[in-house]
Amino acid sequence: MLEVIEPGLETSVQDWPGRLGYWNQGFPPSGPMDSWSFRLANLLVGNEPGAAGLEAQYIGPSLKFERDGVIAVTGADMQAKLDGAPIPMWESVAVKAGQTLQMAFAKTGARGYIAIAGGIDTEPWLGSRSTFHKAGVGGMEGQALKKGQVVPVAGANGKAGRKVIDKARTPIPTDKQWEIEVVAGPNDDWIDEAGHKRFLGSDWKLSSKSDRTGFRLDGPDWTFTKKATNKAPEHGSEPSNIIDQGYPCGAINLAGQTPIILVNDGPSMGGFVNPYTVPRAAFWKLGQSKPGDIYRFKAVSVEEAQAMAHKLRELCSEASIAK
Amino acid sequence: MAEEVRTQTAGNMWKVLVKAGDKVKAGDVLFIMEVMKMEVPHEAPIDGTVKAVSVEEGQEGLDADTVAVEIE
Repeated sequence: MLEVIEPGLETSVQDWPGRLGYWNQGFPPSGPMDSWSFRLANLLVGNEPGAAGLEAQYIGPSLKFERDGVIAVTGADMQAKLDGAPIPMWESVAVKAGQTLQMAFAKTGARGYIAIAGGIDTEPWLGSRSTFHKAGVGGMEGQALKKGQVVPVAGANGKAGRKVIDKARTPIPTDKQWEIEVVAGPNDDWIDEAGHKRFLGSDWKLSSKSDRTGFRLDGPDWTFTKKATNKAPEHGSEPSNIIDQGYPCGAINLAGQTPIILVNDGPSMGGFVNPYTVPRAAFWKLGQSKPGDIYRFKAVSVEEAQAMAHKLRELCSEASIAK
Repeated sequence: MAEEVRTQTAGNMWKVLVKAGDKVKAGDVLFIMEVMKMEVPHEAPIDGTVKAVSVEEGQEGLDADTVAVEIE
């Protein structure tokens, strides 16, 4: 069991790959935004890579352990300390009953992950423990952690001192510049050639109006093909309006002139076009970027996006743990 | 001795509520940051006078741990 001393800015229970299979009813997958860091945290403590753990955003929590156990902290560097003494990241650490894990602001990255041997043992909802706070489901009472709550943890024996090898740790850039892969479509034919060139050739700044629903970007205006400007009135009046359609998770959703990347807790449908889609294997970059950071987009094929996911799955395995 | 109030998170500066010379009490909100569509208020840790404000409303992409206000 974990007692929440301080919840941090917004810390929630997540599991991976989250709540799959209910997108057609409007339930997003949720789950950790940086599943790379999350899966490795679980492996360090001897859990299955998808076991429920905690995602801390921007400011980490303080948690008191009610029994001995093993934890691992990965992702953003939130300056984790155990009873005031710094602990290493990307390494499993033994904790004793009564000790407190204290985390502060993220020095690098934006989202920190905490895994605990046995995994968090809240009641699953539609097959997942992931928190989806907009519907108030999953996790702890459907919301981010609150001060004074006691988070249930399943019993297990982890091993301390297991480390993730250097090259398997998320390479968070220090210059605020990110290259994000995108796959064209589903509505790429609504954007003209100049519009595509501008999208792929410009800097896009991440807005602070970005959360686990959508990542809003500031950049140049878009230009459109006739499909967008000369269409049946039921599509709507703006060039980026389209008759309501299903959205892919990761869609770059064009709301008027503002692109919003729909992420883990995003909507499953709506009436804007999605000229590009960020593949899931690139989501960790979104999860670790901060307001004011600059994105450059790089077009990849569906096959390349699948290869990225495959490579990530290999990275998030026992092969990345130092023996 | 001046007390520095630093940003607790990365984000944008949504509102700056004090200027140099203002008298503040411990617990008064000095400025409010925005991240993830959430307000993150920052309070004065002590009673005193604002000596300097080094942030502006609308500033984007601030890092955590940046000195924003000094109180003496």
